Amino acid sequence: MVCMDNSEWMRNGDYSPTRFQAQADAINLICGAKTQSNPENTVGVLTMAGKGPRVLITPTNDLGKILQALHGLEVGGEMRMTSGVQVAQLALKHRQNKHQRQRIVLFAGSPVLADKAVLEGMGKKLKKNNVALDIVSFGEDDGEKVEKLEALLNAVNNGDNSHIVHIPGGERVLSDVLISSSIFTGDGEGGSGFAAAAAASAAAAAVGGGGGAYDFGVDPNLDPELALALRVSMEEERARQEAAMKRSAEDSTAKGQQAGESSSAPDVAMSDVGLVDTTDKSKDMMIDDDTALLQQAIAMSMAQAAQAAAAAGGGPATTDTSMEESGGDDQDLAYALQMSMQQAAAAASAAQGSADVNQVLGDQSFVSSVLSSLPGVDPNDPNVRDVLASLQTDEGKNDDQATKDKSK
Amino acid sequence: MATTATPATTAAPVQLPLGQVDLADCIEWQSVECLNENSLHTSVNALKQGYREDNGLYLESDADEQLLLYIPFNQVVKLHSLIIRGPPEEGPRTLKLFANRPNMGFSNVTDFPPNDTVIASLENLEGKPIPLKYVKFQSVRSLTLFVEDNQGGGEVTQLQKLAIVGSTVETTNMKDLKKISENEG
Repeated sequence: MVCMDNSEWMRNGDYSPTRFQAQADAINLICGAKTQSNPENTVGVLTMAGKGPRVLITPTNDLGKILQALHGLEVGGEMRMTSGVQVAQLALKHRQNKHQRQRIVLFAGSPVLADKAVLEGMGKKLKKNNVALDIVSFGEDDGEKVEKLEALLNAVNNGDNSHIVHIPGGERVLSDVLISSSIFTGDGEGGSGFAAAAAASAAAAAVGGGGGAYDFGVDPNLDPELALALRVSMEEERARQEAAMKRSAEDSTAKGQQAGESSSAPDVAMSDVGLVDTTDKSKDMMIDDDTALLQQAIAMSMAQAAQAAAAAGGGPATTDTSMEESGGDDQDLAYALQMSMQQAAAAASAAQGSADVNQVLGDQSFVSSVLSSLPGVDPNDPNVRDVLASLQTDEGKNDDQATKDKSK
Repeated sequence: MATTATPATTAAPVQLPLGQVDLADCIEWQSVECLNENSLHTSVNALKQGYREDNGLYLESDADEQLLLYIPFNQVVKLHSLIIRGPPEEGPRTLKLFANRPNMGFSNVTDFPPNDTVIASLENLEGKPIPLKYVKFQSVRSLTLFVEDNQGGGEVTQLQKLAIVGSTVETTNMKDLKKISENEG
C-alpha cells in the first residue's frame, strides 16, 4: 500500500520537475516493479493530504488501473501521516488474498508533525500486526524529521523487513535513487531484475539530459545497430542544416551556378551540384537518407568511372535550360552513373526523386566523412548493391523524362 | 473418561484421557501464524514435538504482551483440552479461543465473542491440562488463540509449550490414502 504525500509542500521544485511529479514517477516505478516481480502481488495507493487520507485505488495487480488512478491528482492541504498509515493498515487488512504479506510504502515529503513517541507507538502497532514499512524521506527536512522517521523504522522493523531511504534535495531524480535503494532490491529476484532493467534505461535517459558517458543515450555495447543508426541520422541532420544555410545564401544565384558548373571539372561539378540541389526537396532527404548514404558508398567505389561519365554528361547539360526541378547537370550525371554501373534493376522506393539522390551523391566530402565513421556499412554488401540498383532505376526514369523534355 | 495427570514438576508426558490424542500431528504447519511474536522465539518452539519439551525454547511476544496464534488443522477435529507450560511471571494468563476464524487480527478480537475463555492458573502453567468447553469445539478446522495478558502483567509473554488435546472426526485423511496399483481392482 503506497502512501502518497500530496500536501502543499509538494509544489516545491527542488526535485525536477516538481516534488509532486518526481514522487508520482517514483510511485509508478514502484508499482511496476512490484506487479512485475510476482504476479500475485497487489499494490494500492492512497493520498494523505487534501481533506484527509483517501484511498485512490485498493490493492490490485492491474498496473493500468493504478496508473490511471494516479492521473490528475492535485496538491493541497497538510499531510496527516498517522491517520494515513492507519488507513493504509485498514486497506491492507481487507485485502482479498490473505496470504499476501502486508507492506506500506510511505512517501514523507512534508515535515513530520507527530511526536516521536506517537510514531514509535504506531510502529509497534504495525509490527504487532505483521506489517512492514518502507519509508521514502525526501523534500522538507526540519532536522527532527530524520530522527523521527528512524525511530519509526526501528519500532516497525522486524527482522530487517522494513527500510528507509533519505533522498536529499537537488539529487538528480527521485526515481533513480529509489531504484538503487533497498526498497527495490529488497524485493527479491524478480524485483531486482526489474530494478536492473529500469536502472539501465533510467541511466540512459538521465544521461541524455545530463550529458553522460554515452553520446545518444544508448550504450553501443547493448545495442550497436541503434547506436549506429542514431549516429548516422545525427550526421545527416548536421549536413542538412549546413546545406540549408548555404541554400539561403546561394538561392538567388542557383541557376547561374548551374550553367557555370557544367564546364568545370567533374569533382567540382559534383560538389557544387550537391549544394545547388538542396534548394529543392530537402525534405525528401529525410525519407531516403539511409539508402542515399549507401548509394554514396557505392558511388565512391565507382568514383573513377563516374567522373569520366560526369565529364561527358556535364558538357551536353549546358544546352539544357528547360529543367525546372533539378538542373540539367544532375540528370546527365545520374545518367552517366547509370551507364558506368551495370547492375540489375530492382523496383525499390519509387518515392525517391532524382534530386535528393543526386544532392546527396554530390556531396563527396560529406560522404567520405560519414563513411569513415560507419563501421557497419560494406559497400560490397549485396544489400547495398540492390539499393544502388534501385537508384539507377529512378535515375533511368528521370533521364527518360529529361530526354522527353529535351526533345520537346 | 479417566484422567490421570502426573505430578506437574516433572517433564514427563501427561497421560491423556481415553480416546483423546495430542493433535500436534493434525496441525498444518505451513499455515501456522503468530502475530506479535519475537522472530527469535517463534511459535514453533511452543508447538512442535521436541521443541516444546525443551523449556529453553519458548514462544515470546514482541511489541507488547499480547499474542495471536493461528493454528489450522489438516482435518476437522474436536478439541478437548489444552496443556500449556510457561514461566510463572511471563506465562500467559487470559486465553481466548476462537474456532474457525481464519485471518484474525488484534483489531477484531473484540468483534465477536470467543468460543471459550480460559484463565490459566499457576498449576496450568506447570502442565496441568486446561479443560475446554467441549461442546463448543465439535467441528474445528482452525483455532485462533489470543493471549491477552500474562501472569506478571509485564510487557513480554513467554510460552514454552502448547499442546492441544482432542480427537479427530472421521474424515478422510488424504495422506493416508494409498495408491492402488494398476493390476488390482
